[in-house]
Formats: sequence, C-alpha cells, structure tokens
Amino acid sequence: MTEAFLGIDIGSISTKGVIIDDGGEIIARSYLWTEGNPAQATKNVIAELREQIDEGDVKVRGAGTTGSARRLVGAMLGASVIKNEITAHAVGTTYVHPDVRTILEIGGQDSKIICVSGGIAVDYAMNTLCAAGTGSFLSSQAHRLGVEVEEFGEIALTSQNPANIAARCTVFAESDLVHKIQVGYARQDIIAGLCQAVASNYLNNVGKGKKIEAPVVFQGGVSKNVGVVAAFERLLDMPVIVDADGHLMGAYGVALLARDAGASATDTSEGGAFASGAFDFEAALDFAYTTRETHCGKCANNCEIILVYRDKDLVDAWGNRCEKGEVMKARERKAAK
Amino acid sequence: MPMPKIHEVGDRVRSSVALHTEKKREPRLRPRQHLKKKLRHKPTKVAIFRYSYYAPAFKYFIEQVLDCEYLRLPDPTDRNIELGSLYSSDYVCTPFKHILGDFIEALELGADIIVQTGGPCRLGYYGELQESILRDLGYEFTMLNFSHGIEKGYVGWAKEVLKVVNPDLNIPHAVRQLIATGGMMSKLDEAHDFYLANRGFEVEKGSFDRAWTALSDAFDACKTDRDITEAFRIAMERFHEIALDKPENPLRIGVVGEFFTAIDENSNLHLERKLTDMGIEIHRMINFTNRYTHYNEPNLRRGASKYLLYDMGPTSTMTVAAALSYAQQGFDGVVHAKSAGCTPEIDCVPVLQQVSADYGMPILYLTYDAQTSDTGLDTRLEAFYDMIAMKKEKHL
Ligand code: SF4
Ligand code: SF4
Repeated sequence: MTEAFLGIDIGSISTKGVIIDDGGEIIARSYLWTEGNPAQATKNVIAELREQIDEGDVKVRGAGTTGSARRLVGAMLGASVIKNEITAHAVGTTYVHPDVRTILEIGGQDSKIICVSGGIAVDYAMNTLCAAGTGSFLSSQAHRLGVEVEEFGEIALTSQNPANIAARCTVFAESDLVHKIQVGYARQDIIAGLCQAVASNYLNNVGKGKKIEAPVVFQGGVSKNVGVVAAFERLLDMPVIVDADGHLMGAYGVALLARDAGASATDTSEGGAFASGAFDFEAALDFAYTTRETHCGKCANNCEIILVYRDKDLVDAWGNRCEKGEVMKARERKAAK
Repeated sequence: MPMPKIHEVGDRVRSSVALHTEKKREPRLRPRQHLKKKLRHKPTKVAIFRYSYYAPAFKYFIEQVLDCEYLRLPDPTDRNIELGSLYSSDYVCTPFKHILGDFIEALELGADIIVQTGGPCRLGYYGELQESILRDLGYEFTMLNFSHGIEKGYVGWAKEVLKVVNPDLNIPHAVRQLIATGGMMSKLDEAHDFYLANRGFEVEKGSFDRAWTALSDAFDACKTDRDITEAFRIAMERFHEIALDKPENPLRIGVVGEFFTAIDENSNLHLERKLTDMGIEIHRMINFTNRYTHYNEPNLRRGASKYLLYDMGPTSTMTVAAALSYAQQGFDGVVHAKSAGCTPEIDCVPVLQQVSADYGMPILYLTYDAQTSDTGLDTRLEAFYDMIAMKKEKHL
C-alpha cells in the first residue's frame, strides 16, 4: 500500500493538482483552466488525478491547498494545510533543487520572485498591481497577432532582430504593438520583442533591488514559453532552469507540507472527504458545494462574509473583521451541543 | 522755513507712535466679556482626527489645556476612508484621506473646532487644503491648525491657540497641563511598547487587549498630572501580571516607516495585531515620544552614518536607524510600512535593501493606499512569517 498526499493550487487562471507518495515522488498530475469556478475546477482536477492512480493501492492521507482560492477549496476538501503561494513555491522548489538561489515565477495574472539561501526563502516580492508581462497579457497579444500562445516561444527563437516594445503597461504595450505591426515589422521580431519585454519588465518591477544569483529556476505558466526563457538567459547572463513540472510547484509544495503535517492534522470529521481516514474520491466528486455571500451588518463596515456549504453543512465562513461577525460552523455547533 | 514749535514735535512723535502700534495690534472682533472666569467660556466641541491609541491624550489636551469639550470619534469603519477618498485628489498621500474622512465625520457629529496638528513633510500643508475642501462642502467650523504660528516658536504657537480657541485661558495652568499631556503621550508609548513585545504570548486570549482598554479608560478619566501617574502605575502593574507563555528566543520583528501609516492601526489595517496574533515579538521605535519628545536627528543619524549622510525626510533617519539597530540586535525581520506616494519613505527603500543585504535580515515592504485589502496583506504577512520562522528553525 502507498501512503500518499494531495496538493492543489487554485489560481485565478489555472488549477493545478498533484498526488505525491511518501518519498515525495509525484505519482499523478493535472493542470486545467479554472474558468472562474474554483470548486468545479478542483473537482475536474481530482477526477483527472484519480484516473492516474490505482485506488486500491494508493491511500491519500492528507491534502494541502494553495493559490488564491486556497481557503475555499481547503474547506471543501478538509485540507490539513492551507498555505500562501510564496511558501508553497519555495518549499516545492527547494525540495527539487536544494541549491537554488533565485525562483522566478510568472503566472496567469501575477508574478513573484523568491530569493533563497541555504534552502530557505530569505526574501520575496510579488506584483499584484499590473497584468503587463503576465500570462494573460501574452495570450491576449498572441490573439491579436493571430498565433497560438503555445507557439509563441518557438516563433520568437527564429527572430534575429527582436523589436523593441515598451511593455511597462498593458495599454502602452498594445499601442506600441499595433504601431509596430502597421510599420511592417516581421512577425517573429515582434513576438521576440514581446518575450524580451516580458522578461525585462519583470526584472525592472518585481525583481527590482533583488540580487539574482544562480542557480535560477523559472516557473509558472509563462516558463513554458522558450522565448521568455531565452530572454531571461540573455538579460541575466546565466542559465535559467525550467522543470517539466515547474508549473506544478505550488501544488507540489503544499503536498509536501501536508505530508510533513502528517495524517493526524487531517480533518477526519464525519461527512468530510477524509472521514474514513483516507481521501474518498467518490465522495469528494459527489459533494455539492455552494458558496453564499452575506453581509454582517452589525456595523458600518458591513463586512462581506463568505459561507461555504458542503451539501447542507456550513463547513467554513470568513470575511468578518471582528468577532461580532463570526458564524458558527456546523462542526462547532455539534460540538457545542 | 519756520521752525516747528517744540510742543508740536512732541505731538507728531506721539501720533506716529500711536499709529505704529495701532497697525500691529490685532483688531478685536469680540468685545471682551467680563464674566466670572468659569462662565467666560462657552463649551465648544473640539475634535481631532483619529490617530492610533493617542485619543486619551488628545482628550486631555482639549479638556485640560484648551478648556473645551472633547468630541470623541467612534471607532472607524470603511466609511472613513471612503469619505476621505471621495473628496481628495487621488494622488495625495493616504494619511490626508484618512484625516479628511475623520474631519467630515467630526463635523457631522457637531464639532465646532477641528484640530489639524500638522507635522513634518507635506502634513504641514494639509490643514489649509483640508480646510478649503471642507468649506467648499459647506461646513462651518473653526480650524485650529498647529502649522500656523509654529514657525514663530512656542510663543507664536500659543498665541495662535489663544486667538483661535479660547482667549481666556489661564496660561500658567495651561502650560502645566500641556506638559502633562506630553507626559501622557510618553506613557502611552511606553505601555504600548510592552504591549507589542508581549501580546503575542498571552496565555489567555484577549488579556492584553482588555488591559489596554482599561488603561485607555483610566487615562480618559484623568484630570491632573498626578492622576496620570497613578493610572499608569496601576495599568503597568496589570500588564506585568498577565501570564505569558513566551519562548526563550521568540521571533522578533521591528516595524519601521512613515509616521502615520506605521503607527495608526486604521491606516495599516491592524498590522501590529496581525503580527502579534502570529506569536511574534514586535518593536517599533517610531512613535510620538521618540519622534518629537526625544528626537535628536543628528545623533540618531550618527549611529547609522554608514548609510545616511544627511537628513532625507521627516522620518527617514528614524526608519533607517531603527532598521539598522534591529539588524544589529539580530532581529528576524523588519516590516516597512508607508503610504502610497510617500516620497521620503520611498527614498528609504534602497537604503533599507542595503541594510537587509549587509545583515542578511529580510525586510517586507508594504505600501498602503485606500484600496489596500485585508486579504492581500494577510497573504504577504503569512508568507513573511513562514519565511522567517523556517529560517530561524534552520539556524537553531
Ligand atoms: S464583522 Fe465586525 S467589523 Fe465586520 S461588519 Fe460585522 S461588526 Fe462590523
Ligand atoms: S511623510 Fe509621506 S505620507 Fe507623510 S506627508 Fe510626507 S509624503 Fe505624505
């Protein structure tokens, strides 16, 4: 029998999931679009993961969640670890590359940099303000140029002469791009220019003031773009490592954290996915999750409170800024009785 | 030309002297009322903007120094920053918006006089701008702006206060009480230092917050210097009696930054509460006492002369010197809090990065504007906590 742990990373654009075994080896992986519905995306990811394992042999003892919808999905699954993306990425990456010094990450809507020393994160920065230079920016520009974003990198590599594109802000980049198309720049030069702009924009914003030391690992959806990788290598003048599983590092990191937390940290309460002590895929896929929003109304802040129900039970609630707005969960109510 | 007669010269001199002094004297708008001292002054409601935990000292100042009625603003809600942002320029620094929101709420509650303390940097110019915004909104009020008169030293400042608020103050009494107000500010800061260092380790949740409320209430009731000393003694005893479960070598973080955002919990979204909730010992050099009462910029700068050659701004020296001293004491990290668009503190960032690199101490940079959300802040603080906690574990 294999003891295993589940990690899910629910971002605004994509949802990633892995199952790891005791030894930290990834035995199942999945990567799907979130499409604005984290609960459904998680179910889809879980269904995909399930197909890759032998349920008779693999027993999933705990789960961890990260990403912007970590709390919601954590409540759904009864996760033992709910962690921010930075910690999750740092933990996952340092496990695979114990000697890493710098982690660059560009995702769908945000980007971050983590500086590592002696296997632990010592500094980080994240950009949440502007979408310029992230995955969604690249795909909208690809759309404008009529190419698939997946082909972007390959095309960029064919350019001898990357165009100079001002990518400090999405609006400027777009108008500059339109201008370059109109004056007849070659398509591969524009695409290479975009990749170059993404890399330099990242280094000038997120990476500003950070000492970037080798080995450098590049992750996130955009790391699959060989054009951007080449641009980073040129700008930094050092090799940039991209792992095949680099886009799954957040999920991998929380799975490791769940493993370290052990089975005892898992919520095995009745009715949950871990009620039997091992993850019940059938049940997790069957549960009906609903989220409802209410307003506290006990003071002028009128906090928006998010309520998460599994079938009829309230499994989690948050958003209240003070204890007056606290909502009792089903489990606590039972315990109080 | 006939010589003027001697008595005519005397007249001319006297009249020119009279004219000269007349010009210098302020016109007296109100006929002086000769009432009994107590009745001379009709109760006037005075309000000050919200600023961290200093409300009891503001109350003492208004009641005991100015001899007016203190109008207390209720606990802030989102409406505060909404109002402030609505009537401010988008690019003005965030403290301006908070203070403007406070003033609007105060005027709605019937304040006659609002107090703008001014301060270093652009704060010194806030008063005029806020006053004209509020007048355009149609409010009628008097503004006591400390920036007026302060350029003429304490005497000029005192004259301004007399003129605007209460011409019939008993000056020696007011001076004594002003000194007592300063004493209360220092005691609040001293108590808060203890609170920050230990709140994260209380055995019974909420003990420190209850003790703080008790201190605040006791200070509210003070009328004399002696009351303050006594209230403080009792409060500190209570603080020291709280049972703690504090490890030998806890995580320690220093908070540095801009005068308003680093201190005021409404502006920094309860940064200190969030950090102490995680079980961290917090130190914060910047507060009223250290920035005003004991402030000696050249001295402070000398301690950080490797990083600072001149005074870069109202709080810059303290920001850098404090971060450096935390680094030298082996703190686990520093959190730098500033308002969006705060030029002097933005200038500190590269210096802080140098300190961070030299001492291997992580620094988290937080910028607050009217849109800063709790969720985003929580994520960053949690990541910062994980980072320094893992680092510490590894080194032990
Ligand atoms: S949770 Fe607290 S702060 Fe939020 S609306 Fe209710 S009473 Fe007000
Ligand atoms: S110190 Fe910063 S926030 Fe304060 S007035 Fe100056 S610029 Fe504005």
